[in-house]
Amino acid sequence: MADPARVRPEAGRPEPGEGSCSSTSSEPAAKPRSAAAAAAEEEEEEGSSSLHPSPAKKLKMEHDKKKEKRQKVDEDEIQKMQVLVSSFSEEQLNRYEMYRRSAFPKAAIKRLIQSITGSSVSQNVVIAMSGISKVFTGEIVEEALDVCEKWGDKPPLQPKHMREAVRRLRSREQSPNTKHKHILFH
Amino acid sequence: MAEEEDDPGFDEDLDDGGNGVDSGQGKRKRLFSKELRCMMYGFGDDQNPYTESVDILEDLVIEFITEMTHKAMSIGRQGRVQVEDIVFLIRKDPRKFARVKDLLTMNEELKKTLKAFDEANYGS
Repeated sequence: MADPARVRPEAGRPEPGEGSCSSTSSEPAAKPRSAAAAAAEEEEEEGSSSLHPSPAKKLKMEHDKKKEKRQKVDEDEIQKMQVLVSSFSEEQLNRYEMYRRSAFPKAAIKRLIQSITGSSVSQNVVIAMSGISKVFTGEIVEEALDVCEKWGDKPPLQPKHMREAVRRLRSREQSPNTKHKHILFH
Repeated sequence: MAEEEDDPGFDEDLDDGGNGVDSGQGKRKRLFSKELRCMMYGFGDDQNPYTESVDILEDLVIEFITEMTHKAMSIGRQGRVQVEDIVFLIRKDPRKFARVKDLLTMNEELKKTLKAFDEANYGS
């Protein structure tokens, strides 16, 4: 399932999910930037228009072409996402907003990690850990919703669904499991 | 089962208020209740999830972070947690790996943009 948050450049700024609705959208900033980058790449290609470019130039041109293609695919995805979001109902919009904006508080995560290591950690570590934890909760909630549906229950999720979801993820090795030690030669 | 006995003891260390003297895990102050509720709604649960489910999730997340931290401390530079270690540990899980890469890239871009913006402002 494609993670919509991956597409937008501004998706990485998690804000506390306190229900604050002031949407400071930096989306317009993303588009002119990529357009400028594409224009700059076109100029470079104009310069090396000889019949037999050197191998270094060839590599660079291939790399630029790949980058252009990736940017184009990105922009396609961005457009598709915009079309999708514009057709959301109000409840879907609410849920989507919660999905994007909810995040773990950086201070608490930092405190937790530092209480385990005993030394300070850099900001990037906190950012990475909060991001991974959010993906982790997403995996559990989605699996629990699958279990809930399969058992014929309805949301809200109950602890039995969560526990079954964790059991399934662990058997698939998608969730850490420290209860069993791997003993190699015994 | 020495490992299972370690868990409640370990949670007692994390207890801020010092009220959980006998049973560790239940008495610790809830760190993420509000944010987890919003997150569960965002991921598809009901708008008001059950408190017990939120509690279970919080315990799972804390266990996850604890385990990652311990593993990261044991590889690379010992005793410290660095981003490279986290990326290494996550490499097998495609979703988490992609997410970490995205977050770090975006953070770098943001810092560069802010720095350029600051310098432009300072100059004028």
